[in-house]
Amino acid sequence: MIVDDIFDLVSYHIHEEAHIKVNHDICQSCIHRACTFMCPARCYQWNPENSRIDFAYEACLECGTCLLVCDKGALDWNYPKGGFGVRFRLT
Amino acid sequence: MKAYDTIVVGAGPAGTTAALIMAQKGLKVLLLERGDVPGAKNMFGGMLPNSPVLDEFLPGFWEQAPWERHVVKRILTITGDTSATSIVFESQNFDHQPYNGYTLFRPHFDKWYAEKARQFGVTLITGCLVEDLLIKGKTVTGIRVGKDEVKAPMVVLCDGALSLLARKAGFCEQPKPSEMALGVKALFFLKEEEINERFNLVRRQGVTQEFLGCTEGIRGGGFIYTQTETLSVGLVFHLDSLKQSGIAPYDVFQRFLASDPLQKTLRGARLMEYSAHVLPEGGYGAVQRLFSDGVLLAGDAAGLCYTNGLNQEGMNLAITSGLFAGETVVDALETGDFSARVLAQYGNRLKESFVLKDMKTFEKTVDLMHNDRLFSVYPKLIGTIMEQIYRSDGKPRKKFGRLGWDAVKEALPLKQAILDLIKGGKSLA
Repeated sequence: MIVDDIFDLVSYHIHEEAHIKVNHDICQSCIHRACTFMCPARCYQWNPENSRIDFAYEACLECGTCLLVCDKGALDWNYPKGGFGVRFRLT
Repeated sequence: MKAYDTIVVGAGPAGTTAALIMAQKGLKVLLLERGDVPGAKNMFGGMLPNSPVLDEFLPGFWEQAPWERHVVKRILTITGDTSATSIVFESQNFDHQPYNGYTLFRPHFDKWYAEKARQFGVTLITGCLVEDLLIKGKTVTGIRVGKDEVKAPMVVLCDGALSLLARKAGFCEQPKPSEMALGVKALFFLKEEEINERFNLVRRQGVTQEFLGCTEGIRGGGFIYTQTETLSVGLVFHLDSLKQSGIAPYDVFQRFLASDPLQKTLRGARLMEYSAHVLPEGGYGAVQRLFSDGVLLAGDAAGLCYTNGLNQEGMNLAITSGLFAGETVVDALETGDFSARVLAQYGNRLKESFVLKDMKTFEKTVDLMHNDRLFSVYPKLIGTIMEQIYRSDGKPRKKFGRLGWDAVKEALPLKQAILDLIKGGKSLA
């Protein structure tokens, strides 16, 4: 599946610091966890073992979906620092 | 740091157009882009519809700009479970200059375009993320990048569909999921001759193909755009509808790519790149603030993007709004008045031009596009009717009217179908 091969298909210049910060306390009150299925880069996954969202920013396409569908305001959402993040080659 | 007359945030089609126009008129312009090259962050279907203004301020634009194919053919394909019904429109009038639409790669186009602006004296800084607007009272007075502050009498915000800066400054609300869509796209390599053969094209002719009914009941659609030796293939989903579905966009996309019509088109094609971005989908009603004291918004940042089901326009609206924004700043600088009162000229020019006129014309179409049945019941119904028309099975045929009537009655309550027809008719006719 495409999203499994995202690091082969998309070029990134990954910053050492995450540009989006997830407030896990707020996430606890979320009932839909839309970020876990709507993120087109699959950056958010529900971890049933510790009952929290695992967030990996590295594959982020900076599309904005998570920001718009998170109705709890759990995300401190910023673009990566200048020159970092996704770097589309052709598309 | 040298003093600038204007700071433009975002070197996409809106920002670069605004910057270029202002530089042509002798203004000192700073153009800031967060990508390490212009276009590195931009995602697009896509086709740039013909924009006559480009040739006016950059004569010979299309001879120089890096585009891929000129679009002569538009296909609308309505997919059922096991069928596809297509309407193919092809015009010889679209096969000579000025062409009606162009496919292109944004990292190539935006980079070239920003370089043009630089040649007119724009100071372009890439890899530069503007984090905040400087605001004094209610007036925007500049921008902040890290610890550095740059002041200017005017700021033009062309920072894309999310427009974080306008939101942070409190000019706009965060767009609602019902007003935004998510586009996911894959780029496939396929030899030029193969593309020409599969779509029946010659020379640099190109085609766009839109798909309806391929999104598993989620409001949205699919697309294929032909570049010289690549195909852009993707899906667009209304965010509220995708959220409600509980389905992952890449799962629907994978099944779309595996569907019969796509398999044939993509046979032997090699996957090269994947991308995704949100886009404004709320139409005229979702256009928020276009200007405030010391600041103008253009392109996606202003919500200037729409579809009426057959036309999908954004990049031409971005370019034209960037032009008006640039010209408005030039006028404001002459009078020395940067208040919203003077900048209102920008809103008026958009309203008088095709940009907001078209969006207004199709204002009600947004409601039609939010009708779930358009993406589930109706595409299937069309497949059922077409298959019954063509099927030969030794049984007597019905007249087409009767056949259609029966199929509609079976698919949904008749009252509903009539209401949808009236509403649809009103929004488009």
